[in-house]
Amino acid sequence: MRKNRTFKAVSLVVVVAFIFTVLAGCASQAPAEKPAVKKPIKIGMSICFTGTAAEKGQPIGQGELDAWKYINEELGGINGNKIEIVWYDTAYNAAIATTNVKKLMDDGCLFFTIVSSADATASKEAANKAGFPGLVIFSSPSLTNPPGRLYSQLPDYGDDWAAFCNYYLKNIWKGTGKPKMALAILSNSTGYGVRDAARVAADDLGIDIVTVEEHKTTTISEIDALTRIKAKNPDVLFIGSTPAPTSVILKNAYELKLTPGMTIACGHAGFTKALIDLAGKDISDGIYGVFPTVNWGDDVKGMPKMNEYCTANHKQYVGNNDYLCGWTASLINAEIIRQALKNSSLDVLAKGDATAWKIAEEKGFRMVKGYDVEGLHGPVDFSDPVDRRGSKSVKVFQIKNGEMTALTGWIDAPYIKYQ
Amino acid sequence: MSLPCGTRNYSYATDIAIIRTKTQWVMFIAFLLLIFSFPFYFPRFWLDVMNLIGITIIAIIGLNILVGYCGQLSIGHAGFMAVGAYTTAILTANFQIPFLLALLLSGIAAGLIGLLFGVPSMRVKGFYLAITTIAAQFIIIWIINHWTDVTKGSMGLGVDAASIGPLSFDSEASQYFLIISITALCVLFATNLARSRAGRAFIAVRDNDLAAEVMGINVFSYKLLAFFLGCFFAGIAGSLFAQWRGHITPEDFTFQQSILYIGILIIGGLGTSIGPIIGVVFIRLLEQFVTLLAPLVERSFPDIPSGFATGLSPMVFGLVMVVFLVLEPRGLAHRWNLFKASYRMWPFSY
Repeated sequence: MRKNRTFKAVSLVVVVAFIFTVLAGCASQAPAEKPAVKKPIKIGMSICFTGTAAEKGQPIGQGELDAWKYINEELGGINGNKIEIVWYDTAYNAAIATTNVKKLMDDGCLFFTIVSSADATASKEAANKAGFPGLVIFSSPSLTNPPGRLYSQLPDYGDDWAAFCNYYLKNIWKGTGKPKMALAILSNSTGYGVRDAARVAADDLGIDIVTVEEHKTTTISEIDALTRIKAKNPDVLFIGSTPAPTSVILKNAYELKLTPGMTIACGHAGFTKALIDLAGKDISDGIYGVFPTVNWGDDVKGMPKMNEYCTANHKQYVGNNDYLCGWTASLINAEIIRQALKNSSLDVLAKGDATAWKIAEEKGFRMVKGYDVEGLHGPVDFSDPVDRRGSKSVKVFQIKNGEMTALTGWIDAPYIKYQ
Repeated sequence: MSLPCGTRNYSYATDIAIIRTKTQWVMFIAFLLLIFSFPFYFPRFWLDVMNLIGITIIAIIGLNILVGYCGQLSIGHAGFMAVGAYTTAILTANFQIPFLLALLLSGIAAGLIGLLFGVPSMRVKGFYLAITTIAAQFIIIWIINHWTDVTKGSMGLGVDAASIGPLSFDSEASQYFLIISITALCVLFATNLARSRAGRAFIAVRDNDLAAEVMGINVFSYKLLAFFLGCFFAGIAGSLFAQWRGHITPEDFTFQQSILYIGILIIGGLGTSIGPIIGVVFIRLLEQFVTLLAPLVERSFPDIPSGFATGLSPMVFGLVMVVFLVLEPRGLAHRWNLFKASYRMWPFSY
């Protein structure tokens, strides 16, 4: 028995001493060990290929990867340097999105892109804390206000709403006083981006928000919410959601005979070819939408090459503007790397460590000024220290005979001050 | 507790000890050394995964007390975690309360909210009680989304890194030590609770509440105690989650997560001490495995149709879960016990 007690005592002392030694290390803030230096520059991607937003994640992700294929294989990389792509699926799951961003840091990526605002929300703090810059393709105001390490490729969901309000007041509204608007929004950062902008800017724009109804990505009926909306008799319904729930709302609105008649508009998260496919040509006809890119097939410089790659590799996404957003995200990434290489060296950037991240942000992102994405969307500018939106313009579209038809040229999406 | 042949009790102290034999002590010490040395050889990503595992273990331990031991089905556990997370965020940011106190208060706040939703357990049980806990999930998240003056709604709240005196837990490695230490304490508490008077009462209530009442157990108060403790652990897990993530929004605590937690507990093994740990480790590692699988498949087989590799991940995840439930319905804990038993008899089986 005595031997046993001595053995236990010695063991405990060893463990306690070990734990104290280890805890002493907590006072220091030394970062985790970096992987060995590798020659190519690596770019990380965190994409919601699966999960409840896969109908957007798939075309965007494939667009991104196809554009890199084009840059690496056809253009020979950037300044002759091939870029290595590291990508992971988030499954539209916040916990996985958080660990993915750390994995991309460990993998030695120079910066990363992330598709959805919900995934970006989960990754934001880790990126900000480590100083790891990222490009968010579909963004929400909460990601870039206050400004951190995340940059938004396109105007955010709040900007969509503001731009549509301006268009509506100038071109559609024929009544007197303030038009009454109802919001049907997704209960995550996609929808709340619209709600937050409406809270801040509705009065200034001259819009009366009569009700805000929330829904889930998995919704199969919005009859209840639309019945409440109908009771408020709004002039216009703005939907801030992804394609699947938006199609449910449009079908239910048709069943309740809200359409045709009431003006309905969608933000860019839901206004895509997938919406027409899901809701059907008849039901989606006449719906307005805001989108921050040109339409598929428009006569702009970058369209033929993108169309060629999409047709060759992912025929099912031809005509899908989400693919276009993914494609342009990679063109912007290439421009960021080009700028960073101009102001630094390949060896430094290829390390993918904290120093390289800082250079990527200061000498890469911030040096992108008025970059024309081959005409596929508005020019990209990240030089403003406060306004972290790259492109600042959108177009208003309307679905006519199953096609998204542009009603306007580029409309400025003014910066909304949230603080 | 099953023990190796020849293990005898010479005193009450040895009878109640969790670790009994020299081999168990050696393995326990080796395990501790292994666990606490992880930060020296694992990169940031894996430490982060292990931090998430530690936090989830605490949450599942709470759910195990509620569902596994006491038989009160709860499908709103992520909501109770949200209470703990937001309590920590608000207390540390607005009132500068030290982390450890905020951690404790977060557990208590979640426990009290849990008590509130546990009251219907006096009248309803089974699936009907599950519905009330689903309501808890949605009500809590709705309040967080709409009480914007305090919670900042969808914008979320920033949470400073935890600190205890001069120790600051702001790196993955230091967070790991904090989370693993608190997880170990929670595991110890839950293991002992299961062997206490309250633990036995929980099991009696779970197995037959009428018989338990006839034996003199106050069923309602023990059900409430289970709700308090279960949600207390959820609050602690939420608090650690908040400081681990550094920024919380209502989207971090979804209904799908609550469902996943039930799944983890079933896969691990309901009503066992080891079940929650094995279940969490298995599911969290499986999540990471399927995340890494898709790019690997696409790189290895470039000619496969577009979208196949990414569609493979959820299929593998679902398939593995189904296979485990079919082959081992009593959970991985049962498989672990079978392994231990065969190891003890090796090489001479009876």
